[in-house]
Amino acid sequence: MSTDVPLEQRVTLIELVDRVLNKGVVLSGDITLSVAGVDLVYVGLRVLLASVSTLEQQSLERAAQ
Amino acid sequence: MGATAPSGVAWYVYGVVDAAAEPPRGVEALSEGTLTALVSAVALDEFGEEPVRAHLEDETWLQEKVLAHEAVLEAALATGPVVPFRFLTVYRDEDELRSFLAARSDELLAVLDRVRGKIEVGVKAFADTAVLERSVAVAELDAEIAEAPPGRAYLLQRQRDEAARAEAARVVAEIARDSHARLLAAADDGTTNAVQPRELTGRPEQMVLNGAYLVPAGDDRLDRELAALAEHYAPFGIGFERTGPWPPYNFVPRDLGAGDVD
Repeated sequence: MSTDVPLEQRVTLIELVDRVLNKGVVLSGDITLSVAGVDLVYVGLRVLLASVSTLEQQSLERAAQ
Repeated sequence: MGATAPSGVAWYVYGVVDAAAEPPRGVEALSEGTLTALVSAVALDEFGEEPVRAHLEDETWLQEKVLAHEAVLEAALATGPVVPFRFLTVYRDEDELRSFLAARSDELLAVLDRVRGKIEVGVKAFADTAVLERSVAVAELDAEIAEAPPGRAYLLQRQRDEAARAEAARVVAEIARDSHARLLAAADDGTTNAVQPRELTGRPEQMVLNGAYLVPAGDDRLDRELAALAEHYAPFGIGFERTGPWPPYNFVPRDLGAGDVD
């Protein structure tokens, strides 16, 4: 990384959602304590993302018309 | 059983690197065989399941922790391969984390080798639907509108707008498919994620592609393909946005360690 721009200025929370919250190894089998098995987007960003699935569904329906 | 972390303390795991790798500043290295887990001791009254559920509603907390997770993995990526773990992977017990590393060392090493020397690049494409709808061909209707009397022209214009919208949607889907295929061909691996709605991106344009690509560090094939795509599709109102280098979030298995019971 050759950039001097601080991380929080380079990326937004939304930018990180696709990765930090939704990807990566999940240790559901062995983990002692974790909420990682839960779909965090729908737990944590409820306020922000509540309607994402609905919106996607609507746009799919629009596209199909 | 085994040695539990000091009372009220647990281990937050960011990811796994080669045992020989220098851990990023401010993070502890917990080595087992040829692997090192990058960890931090965290307080259970902050990272226990109940407190976390409450914190997840707090955007400030979430942003801070998500950025910390990303910062550690980016620092690790700067010196060698890293297997990113999911945000909020927390072990109460050090011995259990060590047994996990030992039991899964073959799989973890295979993943490390797969991403060694490579970075993840994100590519999002956005469509300016107004430009696109103007650019799509509904020539027959346009010709008819030009010759029609005002009342009929108005109706035809509405028909034209509707046809343009449908055609634009079709063209967008085609451009997204073509872009992903060409980027994939210029990368070692690639995948697409769900496009984010405007409510999330806060942008007037519509996201039409949300791709992630695994490329050798220092290889510019993907960037050259991206530049070509941007030039080719600019007249259609399509713009591309590149992010990264990212740790290879999209190219590690999700379910490592799930399934079989040891």
